[in-house]
Amino acid sequence: MKNIAFIFLGLFFSFQVFAQKDTDTVISNNPQKLKVKLLYFHITNRCNTCRSIEAAVRKTIDENFKTELDSGIIDLYILNCELPENKTISEKYQAYGATLAVTKVVGVKEKTDDLTNFAFAKIHDEKVFVSELKSKIQELLK
Amino acid sequence: MLRKSAIILFVVFVTTLLLTGCGSSGKSDKTNNDSTQQVNAVSDSISGNNDSITSPVSTTKNDTLKVNNTSASNTKIAKPKVEVYYFHGANRCVSCIAIEDATKKTLNTYFKNELAKGTIKFKIINVEEDANKAISEKYQAFGSALFVTQIFNGKETKTDLTGDGFKYAKNKEEKFIEILKNKISEYLK
Repeated sequence: MKNIAFIFLGLFFSFQVFAQKDTDTVISNNPQKLKVKLLYFHITNRCNTCRSIEAAVRKTIDENFKTELDSGIIDLYILNCELPENKTISEKYQAYGATLAVTKVVGVKEKTDDLTNFAFAKIHDEKVFVSELKSKIQELLK
Repeated sequence: MLRKSAIILFVVFVTTLLLTGCGSSGKSDKTNNDSTQQVNAVSDSISGNNDSITSPVSTTKNDTLKVNNTSASNTKIAKPKVEVYYFHGANRCVSCIAIEDATKKTLNTYFKNELAKGTIKFKIINVEEDANKAISEKYQAFGSALFVTQIFNGKETKTDLTGDGFKYAKNKEEKFIEILKNKISEYLK
């Protein structure tokens, strides 16, 4: 009986860890070609708005920058900032909660724009969100 | 001799006139200063009878605001200089609750007097209630949203701090408090 309890407990924690890791996405195909990094951080307990922002970010990339993503010109990071393994990158981008950032990469130099306020202000209209995020990325790709 | 006396008299008359002019100017300045003090004094007891603030119109930014507030509202309650609005939906997440808590903490720690005097107004609004439809639409708040608004000369200047709230309030509260405190302090100047 005790063993069964331990097994269930073990399984429960495993599911928790896998469930959290499942949310992380890192697409980085060619660091040599890299021009723009798009990063979205979130916490473990997420609200609908936070999930909508992630969906709209993915949509922006899928519909407009698929080629750039595949060729490595754009990197996409969707990370849980509360996971220990993401601590360094989260601190680098000052992401302690839901955070949307876009970074222009020139050689080893990075210039980051924080788009979190934009994201929360515009997410109620996904069309506008996608269109404006697309424009921002296009500007950085020039 | 008579001509010389007339010239002396004329010079004395003109000098007197000029000196009187300077005196009026000085007196005028003093009056203006007194008016400013009067506005300040009344505004210090702003929760009392504001109807008494009528004529003095100071040239300073703050005093003008106080006079305008009184005349515009035409009530016993003075208009605040800063309004803090926190909007939320019915189902709230941890970040949303953290933003509200940190906002309350900021106001209670750093702006207790302004809250008591009515210089700062804080409102927590459920966007899903019909009664809050107008204000929610005005701020384009469809879920959690934090706005700080400055009211000056009848003009509203808004800052959307929603993103900063979601970014910092839960796991980096001190950073969020610093951002909010700085914005309110800036708007109170």
